[in-house]
Amino acid sequence: MTQFPADLRTPLGRVRFLGPARSGVTDSWLMRLTSLALIPLTIGFVWLMLDLLHRDYNSVRAKLSHPLPAILLLAFILAGIVHMELGMRSIIVDYLGGRARGWALLANTCFSALLALACMYATLRLAFT
Amino acid sequence: MATSAPSRSRPRPLSPHLSIYRVTITMAMSIAHRITGAALYAGVLLLAWFLIAASSDAAGFSAFSAFIGSFLGQIILFGFAWALFHHLLGGIRHFVWDEGYGMDAPIREQLAWATLIGGIVLTILVWAIAYAVR
Repeated sequence: MTQFPADLRTPLGRVRFLGPARSGVTDSWLMRLTSLALIPLTIGFVWLMLDLLHRDYNSVRAKLSHPLPAILLLAFILAGIVHMELGMRSIIVDYLGGRARGWALLANTCFSALLALACMYATLRLAFT
Repeated sequence: MATSAPSRSRPRPLSPHLSIYRVTITMAMSIAHRITGAALYAGVLLLAWFLIAASSDAAGFSAFSAFIGSFLGQIILFGFAWALFHHLLGGIRHFVWDEGYGMDAPIREQLAWATLIGGIVLTILVWAIAYAVR
């Protein structure tokens, strides 16, 4: 009778998913990248909002049809929403476990993606109409 | 034995419970950084509403303007501005730490106070500018 080994998995199968496979610091790095980008972008965003504050509908639209405010907004939305998605992800994994964690992570990514697309669509519509 | 999958019999370590340590300013600002971050997460909905309203018709935009101009809207906007500045300064503090500076006792406390006071000062300053330019 053949003697089977205790573990049928290959040496590769045993070590897979036990450590970072070249992408272990991606989220951490992306968090720092978006943080750094958001320092000037937030200042620019606040500046733009102060400019828009006392304008009426037509004047707001005229301002946002210029390239610089539109690009600033697009960059702020992109960096900001990637940043907030990563941030909420770390909050979820800190406080939730089991199936709730999985659903929360799924909801977080879907909500962030939809919000980013809606904001960017509206910004582009303002810029090109 | 050594090659088997990590044992799951022992529970995973948890964060220290809040009631174990007395409150320090660095602890309070760490919690505030997370809370402001979560608040900004919801606050982006306000930005989305603004952009969608501005890109649609004048009636939609005036509904947004009416809300933002209302007492509740102003309170929310003020909170949004404070959360934004507090989180911004907290983030800069994290960059200082990432570079390996400001972790010793007096400096880390001063940085925490600077985050708290700086966030409030910047919010009031921007609010003052907003009302002054009207």
